[in-house]
Formats: sequence, structure tokens, C-alpha cells
Amino acid sequence: MSSAAPGGIRGLRRRRSRAIKANVFRTGVAVIAGFAVLAVGAGWWQVVEAERLATAADNPAVIAVARRALRGEIVDRNGAWLARSDRDQNGEALRRYRDDTISQVVGYASRKYGTAGLERTFNAQLLGLSGADPLGGLAGKFLPAQDRRLGLQLSLDLRLQRAAVRGLGNDIGAVVMLDPVTGEILALASTPVYDASAIADPATATRTFEALQADEDRPLLPRATLGRYVPGSVFKIVTGIAGLDTGAITPATTFQQQPAAEEDGLLVDGFRIRDGHHPMTGDTALDMAEATEVSCNIWYALAGLAIGGDRLVDEASKLGFGSAIPFDLPTAVSSVTSGDGRMPGGFSDDAELASAAFGQGETFVTPLQMALVAAAVANDGVLMRPHVVTALTGDGPGARAIGPETWRRVMSPDDARALQAAMEQAVEGDLGRLFTAGAAVPGVPTAGKSGTAELGGKGEPHSWFIGFAPVENPQVAIAVLVERGGRGGERAAPLAGALMERYFELYGTP
Amino acid sequence: MTAAIAARPASRFRVRPRPRFTELVLLAIVAVALVVGAVSLGATEQLRAATEAGKAVRRLDFLPPDPQGLLVYLLGLAAVHAGFVLAGRRTDQVLLPTVGMLGGIGLLLMQRLPQNLVVQSFGSAELGLGQLQLAWLLVALAVVGVLGLAVRSDTWLRTYKYTWAAAGIGLLLLVFVFGSEVNGARLSLSIGPVTGQPSELLKVILVVFLAAYLSENRALLAEESTRIGPVRLPPLPYLAPMVVMWAIALGIVVVQRDLGAALLFFAIFLSLLYIATGRPSYVVLGLLLFAGGAIVLYSLFGHVQARVDNWLDPWRDPQGAGFQVVQALYAFGRGGILGVGLGAGLPTIGGRLPIPAVHSDYPLAALGEELGLVGLLALLGLYLVVVSRGLRIAAASHDDFRSLLAAGLALVVGIQAFIIAAGNLKLIPLTGITLPFISYGGSSLLANAVVVGLLIALSDRGIEPPPAPRDRKRHLPRLSRLRRARVAP
Amino acid sequence: MDGFLLTLWIIRILFLLLIYLFLYAVVRVLLRDLRAAARGPAELGRLVVLASPRGEPQPGGSYPLDAVTTLGRDVNNGVVLDDPYASGEHAVLTFRGRNWYIEDLASTNGTYVNGIPVEGLGPLGFGDEIQVGEIRFRLDRGRS
Repeated sequence: MSSAAPGGIRGLRRRRSRAIKANVFRTGVAVIAGFAVLAVGAGWWQVVEAERLATAADNPAVIAVARRALRGEIVDRNGAWLARSDRDQNGEALRRYRDDTISQVVGYASRKYGTAGLERTFNAQLLGLSGADPLGGLAGKFLPAQDRRLGLQLSLDLRLQRAAVRGLGNDIGAVVMLDPVTGEILALASTPVYDASAIADPATATRTFEALQADEDRPLLPRATLGRYVPGSVFKIVTGIAGLDTGAITPATTFQQQPAAEEDGLLVDGFRIRDGHHPMTGDTALDMAEATEVSCNIWYALAGLAIGGDRLVDEASKLGFGSAIPFDLPTAVSSVTSGDGRMPGGFSDDAELASAAFGQGETFVTPLQMALVAAAVANDGVLMRPHVVTALTGDGPGARAIGPETWRRVMSPDDARALQAAMEQAVEGDLGRLFTAGAAVPGVPTAGKSGTAELGGKGEPHSWFIGFAPVENPQVAIAVLVERGGRGGERAAPLAGALMERYFELYGTP
Repeated sequence: MTAAIAARPASRFRVRPRPRFTELVLLAIVAVALVVGAVSLGATEQLRAATEAGKAVRRLDFLPPDPQGLLVYLLGLAAVHAGFVLAGRRTDQVLLPTVGMLGGIGLLLMQRLPQNLVVQSFGSAELGLGQLQLAWLLVALAVVGVLGLAVRSDTWLRTYKYTWAAAGIGLLLLVFVFGSEVNGARLSLSIGPVTGQPSELLKVILVVFLAAYLSENRALLAEESTRIGPVRLPPLPYLAPMVVMWAIALGIVVVQRDLGAALLFFAIFLSLLYIATGRPSYVVLGLLLFAGGAIVLYSLFGHVQARVDNWLDPWRDPQGAGFQVVQALYAFGRGGILGVGLGAGLPTIGGRLPIPAVHSDYPLAALGEELGLVGLLALLGLYLVVVSRGLRIAAASHDDFRSLLAAGLALVVGIQAFIIAAGNLKLIPLTGITLPFISYGGSSLLANAVVVGLLIALSDRGIEPPPAPRDRKRHLPRLSRLRRARVAP
Repeated sequence: MDGFLLTLWIIRILFLLLIYLFLYAVVRVLLRDLRAAARGPAELGRLVVLASPRGEPQPGGSYPLDAVTTLGRDVNNGVVLDDPYASGEHAVLTFRGRNWYIEDLASTNGTYVNGIPVEGLGPLGFGDEIQVGEIRFRLDRGRS
């Protein structure tokens, strides 16, 4: 074979040598390509991801800076300090907090236990590490280290926060107060509270933290943003929004079978839905406002069935359900249903849909989410993005003001006004007062909805209230949850009323 | 006509000193660069000491941390250069300076790290990390010098290929039986006070064997093939040793848990197979085999699974299994484009380095942090230079064996650097192999020195023709004008 | 403190620059070599095989010659001769200055140019016949 090739073995060898040369060249190209990939990879970590990596909380450089550097100050909307750093006798930075009412919002910054709350979200900015882009860092290398730490200005009002925590007292619960026009959070309280200063102080950190972790009431859980609860009747507002926006119901909608069903309850898929207001309303078919005033489960169940599962879930997602609400703190996802069912929207059957529509389905909400529902109605259907940080203060790079931001339009202004009227009736109306006793602010037209979240089995239901005031040009929206607080009107509604009254005391009645 | 041609007495082409200007200039640049680097290291340490003591620095002390060590290293480079000059062979002039630069950067890195990372006592003396690396570097330079000078022919490599293969397998078995486990991988062998990793030397033996085997059987491999459907396999009798290679590679992973070595062996095997035969289908087949083997290994062996899972998402357990990977990435991020300066990186956690085993597993992360993206790209460039010189030697050789050998040696360095760099950068799972010339490790330095020494020896461009004789006029007239006598065949 | 930091950074950047200077110098050397290789060795001459009873080298074949070409039985030679009378390293053809020379490397059976045995080093012209053992070559001009 090989001797038959032209040129003999020598020639064949020459040809093979040439082929080897070509293969070597191609292999060389492959190696260069491989190294090019390495270069891209290096560029990825050292340029593109550099800031994220360089400011990560467990990056030892960040930890080292945190030990030495003073963190920026956190103040409330009126300039009252909430968190600040001083140097202790060893020259190391010591973080102190105003009191324990702000713990779940501001969080803590501890050498051993890291950061939580706003201290965590804005860790890089508070330490002056942000803006560490590779080229910007060049200037920093040559100039002496400047004080690039930033402070936080919050929209929180310390007085309202303290009032909320005091109002909750020994109960476990949460309060969210916000300005519906701007989305600024005025109070974000969770009880039980804890002493963040004790965690930040290295001398007491371990003892305090371990005790807190062992505490069965879970004081470290910020319930306002991360607690998920059965909503009870406050969810009817969501159903109302969904119904009006899709056109499934109008403010004048009545259901013929509703008065009769009040006697024995409404049968849906073998499940009986009952009400408690029959003695008061008699045989009248209720419209939306009246149904809201007496918190009619049957009316809302029928409304929910009319809306349909998928439209209910879609409309709820416009309000923020189904995903984490974009906020300065971590938020849990509120859900209308678990989504496992095969009916539209993920419901298992009509009974679940009907129950969810009046707030007793597989629905779980956070207090922040329900406050946003109230805010959306109050603001004529425009939902503003909630935020608690209104400015990053200081000389360093990244200092800026954070203004109101429109998140989305949830419904038309007319629909919103219809709901406002309904919710006003629920608080100010003759029958409504019976359900929401104490929620009305004296001298200020107040709107709202109470909720009693039955949990099944023994034990008290959760007490809920959402609302806003005044009805015309609202200035404050509120959501109050008291775990195992009994009926809505027992704990949540009076607390909400008291807090809104306190707000008007501080900021003047309109 | 039988008059003998009057001629000068037969002169063997004698070797005599030839200047190597290119090598000299490059080595000079290396020396200056390393001195500047050492000075910056010293100044950084001075700054750090002053900051910790709380004092301001008033004056700059241009003093490297270990000036004697650096000087000894530079002298070593000069000595090898002088040796090459005296021997007068026309060998490659770029490889020694490049390797000198890489080794020098590695030395600076080892001098910069805490010296107590590795301590070995020899009698009464205790040597720390930097000094041990220096010692191994000097031995490595000696190896480069000796091989570059003394290796004149490759017959001894080519002829005894099965002996080499047997030696390699014997070495593997030796490690398997007598080796000690380090970090869950059975890699090292201890002889007296010295611990080594024989798998490093194994890769050189593998290249020699493959080059010899493939060059001998090249025709058959390239031109005949067994067809199975659309796929072309090498002819079956010749496929056997290669499948044995693949099985050995898998075996290394399973038994020794050395993923890096297995990957390296397999990659070299595929590359040399491609260079010898030019058939991409063999490479594709090899890659499929690799993928199949990888999947099988992943599902069967916990340690493989752990490595791969850790690679995919180290942040799942950032304080535990993913710690090393996460901290290395932080180091890269802190470096940015220009780095933080030699000696200024690696902020300590509780007094210890943030990246465990940075001197052997993650030198690239430390250099990436301190020299930045700019420095990292330069390092990759230096490795490419070594590979490209080796491949050029391969392309210029007329002889198949020499080509394959040179290519294989070049690829050994290049692919090893690629694997460890990709592991550091989280492009592939981390493996335990070393970064040539930079990582701490005597056996790694020695094996790579053997590679470079052999490459330099193979690059000999032949004996230079002596200058034309001066007394040309005394020759007889040109023979072509004389009657040509024919000798009967 | 500022001045110190500035100086320190200048030194650090100088270090990086020097590494790149090295790479630049190396790349220049590489390119120079590539260009030289691409130009290709000018063919200084060719060796044509006139007679080769054993077939190695191929009769009628012609080989381009480098400045130094070795002949012999050893496989490492530039031209490999398969002849029982040829030594492992038999002879070497060199081009010096502007002329060709042949040198017999103390082979057992000698090298012949146009029938005349070569002692040591001897000049060679185009058209001359070289005989090693039973193999005969002719030196021709280069082709390029």
C-alpha cells in the first residue's frame, strides 16, 4: 500500500508531515480559543460582576471594613435618629438603635450575626462600599480613602411606629401605615419586638441572639412583610376590585338568590357558605356597598364565581399577588390560591373559588400586601410602589433622593370611587359601625373593611382591618393584623382607628 | 581518475559558544520586572505594617521582602542561559525567559503568602513556603539546563515506548498502593522527607508513549478505519491501546479521585490523536466517550457529585462546601481591572487567609486579586507563548515522532494551565492539579521543567554550517567538467 | 501618605507594564520567526535520485535541500538511505557562502563524487553525481 503511493515512503512521510503541520496549526487555534474563553471568564468576574462580589456581605474585605468603619446614620422622616455608630473604648465601631420598636424595619448590623433589615439591604451604601466599579475604584486607589459612607433617610415616623407597637401591646401582630399618594411607608411594626442594640453589641450579642432564636413567638420574624396569614373578609376588597375591573359586577349588582340563601346558606359544590347578618338585612338583595357594609359572604361568593378563577388571580396579581412585592426589605409572596388545582386560576373547585372570594380559601396574604390594596383603592386606582427609604444622604457617590414611583394602575377611577364609597359605608354606615367599631376617626370621614380570619379548629381567629382616611384626598392607608385577636372589630379595627387618629394629631386634620 | 580530492582534514562540526541575544534581552526584561515586582511587594508590606501599627509612613524603603532569594533565582536563570550559550546549540530562545517570568511571579507569590503554610525541616533548618519554592525552582532550572544541553537525540524516547508505558503504569500502581491521601485524593508518595506527586511525571511519560505509538501507526490510523454506521472508528486492533488509555483515565478518577489528572490525560490523548490522524470524527467520538463517562461517574460517585454540585451553585453552602469557590470569586471581584497590588490582597478572616490552599489550588485567584484583570491576561498570554513555541517546534520538525512529542509536551503545559484556570474561574469544576510554574509543588515544577527542557532540546535547528573555507582558489576546477566515471551498480 | 501611595501605585503599574513589555518582545520574536518560515527556505538545491536498487529513497524522486542535509541509514537523517553499504550517518551536504560541499562522515564504505572518493570535505557543483553504496544522486539547482 504505502509503496504504491507516489514518491515512495519518503514522499508519503513528507505528505504526512505536512498534514501534521496543518493539524498542529488547528490545535493551536483551538488552544487560543480556549484561552480566549478564559479571558472572557476572567473579565466576567473582574469587571461585570465585580461590584456585586466586592460588596457581598460575607466578602472578608466587606467584613473588615465593617469592623473598622462607622456605618452611616439612619433617621426617620423628621430627622430623629434611628440607628447610629459610635466608637467604643477599643476604637471599634459600635452600632446603637433608638429603641426596639424599629427593629424589624431597620434590622441590626452585628459582627457575628451579620446584617438584617435595612442594614442588610443597604449594607454596601452604609459602609461606603458602593460605587466600587473597577474604573471608579482607580481614582479611589490614588486618593486617600474618603468618607464615602451614606446615610438613610426613612419615611418612617418614629412616633407612629411607637404608637403602633404600643397599641399591639402583648399581642402578636403587625401594622402597616403608608401614604397612598406617594407610597411612602409611615409605620411598619411587628410584634413581638426585640432589642437590636443588644445584638449589635459584641458583649451581649451571642446571649441575646440565641435567646431570640429559641423564643417560640419568633420575635426575629418581621411579620408585616414576611408573615403570611389567612385574610378573612378584608380580601373582599380584592374581589371587589377584580369584579369591577373585569366588569363581572357593578356597584349596583345584586344576586337574586342571595337573600333566600341567607337562611340555610349557599350551597356551592356541596360546601355551605353562611353569613351572620341575616337578622339585620332581612330579605333585601344587597348591592355592593351594602354587601361590603355587612360583610356578606354569600354576595361575595357569588361575585367570585361570576368573576371566574383565572380572572380573579390575574386581577390580584396586578395588586402584587403572586410575586414578591418590590420593596426595600424582603417580602413574602401573597397568593390567592396554592395553584395546584386544575380549574382556571389554579383552584381545585368552585367551592374553593367561592371561599377565596370572601377570604377563607387557600389564600395567604402579608399585612403589607393588604395595606397596598387599601392604598390602591384610596389613590383612585393607582398603586404606588411602596418604599421606606426616601433618600441616601451624604457626600459619597450614590447619594440621591428616592421619590414616589407609580407602580401600576389597578382599576379605573370610577371603580375606585365606588369601592371608596363602599368601604366608607363599612366604617361610617349604621350597620357597618357594628362590624368596625372604633375604626372611624372622629371628625374625619374614614373608609375601611374589617376581617375575621377563621382558622378552623379551636382558637381565636385573626383580627384584620384595612382602611384609609379621609375618604376624599386620603392621606393615610393602614392595615392592621392581630394574630388570634378575635373578630375584626374586636382588636384590629379600634387599633386602626386609634392609629389613624394619632396620625391626624401629628399632621393635622384636613 | 582516482585522484583524491585534496581537502581539509575531516572536521566534525564542533559545538562552540554562540551568543543568544534574544534570550539575553528577554531575560533582562524578566529580571527588571521581577525586581520591580519584589520592590512593590516590599513597599506594600511596609505600608501594611505601618497601618496596623497606626503609624504614618514617612519614607519609602525600596527593599523587597527576600532580596537574597530573588537574587539567587535570577542567578540561576543567568547560569542556565550561560550554559546554553556555551553549548552553542541553536535552540529556542524564548522558552527559558518565559518560564523564568512565570516561575518568578510564582516565587513572588509564595514569598508574599504566609510562610508557615508549608514548613519542612531539614535537620535543624526550617524552610518556609517561599524558600521551599525557591529551592524547587532552582532544581527545576537545573533540570531545564541539563535537558536542554544534553539531550541530542530522541531515539531513547522513541524506541522504548512500551518500557515507558510500563514505567508509567508501575508508577500509578505505586501511588495506589503506597500513596497517602490528601484532601480526599490519593496523590502523593513520600520518600523520606520529600513528598511528591508522581502523577505529574506520569503525564510526561504518557506524552512520550503516545507520540511514539501514534507516529509509528499513523498511516494505519489515518487511512484505514472501521466503519460503524456513519461513524469512523480507528481500526480495531489499534483502538485497543487507546481504549485502555481511556479506561486508565477513568480509573484514576475512581481510585485516586484525581479528576484533574484524568481530564488532562484524556485531553492530551484526544489532541495527539487528532494531530496524528487529522480525523475530527475521532475527537468527536472521544468527547462523547468523555461525556458518557462523566455522566456515569456523576451518578455513581458521591465525591464527583459533590464537586459538580459545588461548582454549579457554591452559594448554596457558602460557609461550608462552597467556601473556597465563593472566596476565590470574591478575590477576583476585589481585583477589578488593575488589581489591588502585589501583597495587598487576600484580606484575612480571623487571621487566616480567606482562600484555603491558595498556594496550590487557587494561585490564579490570588494573582487575579493582586494583579487585576490586566495581570491575569498577561499570565494567560505567557502560557500561550509556551504553547505556541512548542507547537511551532512541532510544526517545524520533519519527523513525525518529534512533531507529536513536541506538540504533546506543549499541550501538556497549555491544557493543564487551562484546566486549573478554568477551575479557578468557576468555568469548570475545581480539580486538584497545579498551575504550571506558579503553584507550589516540587513535583509539579520538576515535571514541567522536564517538559520545557525537552522542548528546548527538540528545538535544535541543526548544526550550523561552518563558514566557507577561505582558500577556495586552491581547489581543483569544478568536477562537473571532468569526465565522470561510472561505478557499476 | 499621599505621595507614598502614589509612588507605590506607580511601581505596581510599572510591574504590570514590564510584564507586557516582555510579552511584546516575545510576540515580535514570534512574528519574526513566522515571517521567516512563511518566506520559506529558498531552495538552494535539489538532490535527484538516479539509482536506488532497494527503493528507498524512491528512484526518480527529488528532494529539496536545506543548508545542511545529512545522508545515511539512520532514520533521523535528512535523506534516509536504505543500503547495506551505507553507514548510519554517512555524509552531509552543506551549502556555505555560495557553494555546495559534501563531507564524508568517516563512513565505512566511503562517498564518491563523479566516481572519485571524497576525503573529508570536498566541493560540489550542480550536475555532479554522488554515490553512496549502491545509491546514486545528482545535485541539481534549486527550483524556486
